Amino acid sequence: MGEREPGQRQLPPELDTEARSNAIRLSGWEWVGVGLFAVLLIVAGPRLWKMFERFDLEPDYRIPKDLSNDYWLYDRYMELAAAHYDTLVVGDSVVWGEYVRRDQTLSHYLNEQAGRDGFANAGLDGTHPAALAGLLEFYGASIKGKKVVLHCNPLWLSSPKADLRVEDANFNHPRLVPQFVPPIPSYPLEREKISQRLGIVVEQRVPFEGWTAHLQQAYYRDPSDLPIDIPTWTLHHPYANPLKPLTRGLPPSDFRLHAEPITWTARGISKQDYPWVDLDGSLQWQSFQRSVEMLRRRGNQVFVLVGPFNEHLLSAKSVPEYQKVKGRIEAWLKQKNLPYLAPPALASDLYADASHPLAAGYARLAQQVLKSLPSGW
Amino acid sequence: MLFHTWVFFVFFLIVYSVYLVVKRNNRLMNVWLMIASYTFYGWWNPYYLLLLFGTSAIDYLMVLAMERSQKTRKLWLVISLVSNFGFLGYFKYSGFITENLNTFLGTLGSPYLIPDPVYYPNMLMGLMGVPESHFFEAVILPIGISFHTFQSMSYTIDAYRGTIQTERSFIRFLTFVSFFPQLVAGPIERARNLLPQLQSEPKITRLDITDGLALFLVGFFKKVALADYLSMYADKVYQDPAHFQAAGLTLATFAFAWQIYFDFSGYTDMARGIARLMGFHLMLNFNNPYVATGLGDFWARWHISLSTWFKDYVYYPLGGNRHGWLRTYRNMFLTMVISGIWHGANWTFVIWGALHAVGRVLTRELERTYFYREVVPTFVKQLLVFTFVTFTWIFFRAQDLKDGTSALQAAWLIIRRIFTTAWTNPQFPILMLVLVLAVWAYQFLYNAGVKTRAVLEFAPVRVGLVVVMITYLAIVAQPSTKAFIYFQF
Repeated sequence: MGEREPGQRQLPPELDTEARSNAIRLSGWEWVGVGLFAVLLIVAGPRLWKMFERFDLEPDYRIPKDLSNDYWLYDRYMELAAAHYDTLVVGDSVVWGEYVRRDQTLSHYLNEQAGRDGFANAGLDGTHPAALAGLLEFYGASIKGKKVVLHCNPLWLSSPKADLRVEDANFNHPRLVPQFVPPIPSYPLEREKISQRLGIVVEQRVPFEGWTAHLQQAYYRDPSDLPIDIPTWTLHHPYANPLKPLTRGLPPSDFRLHAEPITWTARGISKQDYPWVDLDGSLQWQSFQRSVEMLRRRGNQVFVLVGPFNEHLLSAKSVPEYQKVKGRIEAWLKQKNLPYLAPPALASDLYADASHPLAAGYARLAQQVLKSLPSGW
Repeated sequence: MLFHTWVFFVFFLIVYSVYLVVKRNNRLMNVWLMIASYTFYGWWNPYYLLLLFGTSAIDYLMVLAMERSQKTRKLWLVISLVSNFGFLGYFKYSGFITENLNTFLGTLGSPYLIPDPVYYPNMLMGLMGVPESHFFEAVILPIGISFHTFQSMSYTIDAYRGTIQTERSFIRFLTFVSFFPQLVAGPIERARNLLPQLQSEPKITRLDITDGLALFLVGFFKKVALADYLSMYADKVYQDPAHFQAAGLTLATFAFAWQIYFDFSGYTDMARGIARLMGFHLMLNFNNPYVATGLGDFWARWHISLSTWFKDYVYYPLGGNRHGWLRTYRNMFLTMVISGIWHGANWTFVIWGALHAVGRVLTRELERTYFYREVVPTFVKQLLVFTFVTFTWIFFRAQDLKDGTSALQAAWLIIRRIFTTAWTNPQFPILMLVLVLAVWAYQFLYNAGVKTRAVLEFAPVRVGLVVVMITYLAIVAQPSTKAFIYFQF
C-alpha cells in the first residue's frame, strides 16, 4: 500500500496524495482480489438469490401486472414453468388475461378442458411483438425443447403507431426492443439517451443487472403500492430498516381483476377504421417472425394462434384490409410449415375490446385450440 | 458526457486504447488527446467548441506576441484578459447585470431598458440577413466556462510574469486547455504542472493504474451512491421550503453540504483517476474539508485549485498580507467576494462569498490566539467550522421558486423558518445519516493521528471498504445521469 515504485519521479508536495488525502489505495494484487469478488458477485449473486427466494408455482400462475417490467422474474418463472409444464402459452395481455381473473385465462381453460395441468400462462402484459422477441431472446432462454403456443395479435399491425412507425409515440417495454439497430421511429435515438440505451444493452445481456432491478421492483413499494427503488423507498420509510422488505417474500401470483369484464359495446367503443400496415417492412411482423424462428432454433415445437381479432369492431371498409393481413400471416405460417389456428372471430359479446376476449371467449377459444393442436401434443 | 455513464465508458475505452499506442509520439499523442477532448466537450453542444477554441487561440497568440515584443507585453496580457473576461462576462454575467441595471433604471423611473444580452448576436445576425427563425432564444451558459477560462488565463499571466516557458505547439496548448478529464469542472490546472506532462511521454506505472482505479471508484461512489442520494432529500425541501419546518430545513441544508462535497470532490476524484490511468498527475483539489479546524484551513482544503488560483492571481496582486492588517483584510474580503461571484451570477453567490469573507476576517485573529489553538478541543473547532460552512450553503443552494420567490428571498425564508418554526419530525432517512456519518467518521479518524490512520490503512480495512462500495453501487445505487453541480459554473 502506498509503495513508491523504483524509478518513479518524486512529485511536488501539492501533487503527492500519499501524505494528504484519504483516498483508499489498493495494490495490484488487492485489485485482482477485488476484481474476483466483483465477478463472483455478478455471477453468483442472482443464483444464490434463487436459492433464498421462495417462488410458489401455483396452478394458473401469472406474473403480477405491476411487475410486468421485472424481466428477471419472468426469466425465473420461465425456468420453473419450463420444468413443470409441457406447454408454454406465450404472448401479450391476450394470453396474460387483461379483463379476466387468473382462473379465466386461455391457459386455465386449456388445462381445464384438457383435464391436466399442462399449460402455463407465459403471457406478459404489453409485450407487442418487438418486445416479445426481446423478452424471448434475453429472458426466455429456458424455453427450449418445449411445446409453445405462440399468440399472434394482429392488433399490433393495425396502424403505423402500433407498428412503432410514429415518431416519439409512447409504447410498452422499451427495455426489450432493439436499442440501436434496426432504428425504431417511435424510439428515436437522441444523443442524451445513448448512455441509457447502452445501459439497457448491458442489462439485457448481464443477468445481474436484471436481478438488482428485480430486488428493487419486487420488494420495495411506494405508498400507492407501486414498485420503487431502494433510495426512494427510504424517503417514504425514513426510519425503517432498508433490508426488511427483502424478508417479506415474493409478491404472489396476480389474483386480481384489473379491468372491468364487460363487452366492448358496453364499454362504449365505436366501430374502428384501422389503417392496417403493409406487412412488408413492418417492424412488428418482422419481430414476430424473429420470435418464431428463435423458438424453433431452440428446439421448441411451435403452434401459432392468430387472433381471433374482434372483427365486429371494424368498420366495413376495414374488414377486407384486416382479412388481407390475416391472409398474409396464414400464408407465411403455411410456407414455414408451422401448425396454426386462425379462427374466425368469436361472437361479439365475447370481446372486451379489439383483441381481448372475456372469460367465456377464452373458454371457447381453448376448445378450438385443443382441437387444432397437432397429434401428440 | 458524464464520467459515470456508459457512453463515457465506451468513449474512454476507445480513447485509452488509441492513447496507449500513440503516446510514444508526442505530436500524435497531443493531437489524439485534443481530438478526444474536443469530442468530449462538443458532446453537449458542438457550438461551444468555437468558444473553447477561440479563447485558447487568443491566449496562445498573445503569449507568442509577448515573447516577440517585450515592450508591448502588457498590451498582449490586457488583450488576453479582456477577451477572457469578455466572453465570461457575456455568457455568465450579462443576464444578471442587465436584470439588475433594469431594476435600478426602473426605480429611477427611466423609460429606457437595456435589451436582453441575446439581442446583440441576433441584431448582428439580422444585419447579415439571417432570417429571424434562426435567431437565438437565450444566452446559454457554456458548460465549465469558468474552469477552462481560468486555466487558460493562468497561462498568459504566468507567461507575462515570466514564470513559465512559452508553449510553441498550438496543438499541445489546445490540449492543455481542453484536457478532457478536468475540462468542465477542474481541477483548474496550472500550465507549469500540466504542460510539462504533455511535453514528454507519460510513463504509466503500476501505481498509476492502481491509484487511478481507486480514485475513480471512490469518486464514482461519492457521486452515484452519496451525492445523488442526498440530493433526493435536499431537492425536495429546497424546492418547497415553505412546507418544511426547522428540523427538515436544517437537515436538508446538512444533506446539501455533503451532497455538494460528494458531487464536486467525486468529480475531481474521477477526473484525477482517469488522468492517472493515462499517466498524468492532476493536482489535489479536496483534502477532507469538513474536518477543517478554521475557515482558513477550510479554504486550504476545499476546491484547492480555485483557492490557490485566487490567491496567486487576485490576493497577492492586491498586496496580500504585506501592507498591514487593514489592507490584508480588505484583500481577503475582496478575494472571497470575487470567488463567490465566480460561482454564479446571482446575489446569493455574492452573499455566500461575502459571508465567507466576513467569517474569515473575524476568525483569523481568533485562530491565532493561544486559547483557540491550544484550549478549544479540535472536535469543537471542526464542528464550529462545519456549522458555519453549512449555514452559508443555504445561500449557495437556494433557488428561485415556482411562486416567483427569488433565490435570495428563498434563502431568507429558509433561515427564518429554521429559527421560528417547530422542530417536528424531519423524516430524514436513517440510511442517509448512516452513510454521511460513516464518511465523516472515516475522515476524522484519518486526520486524527498516525495510529488511527494506520488502522484505516490496514489491508483488510481498505479492501473491505472497496468491496462494500462495489456491492452498494451494484445493488442499491441507481443508475445516474444526473449532471454534476459544478458544471453550471
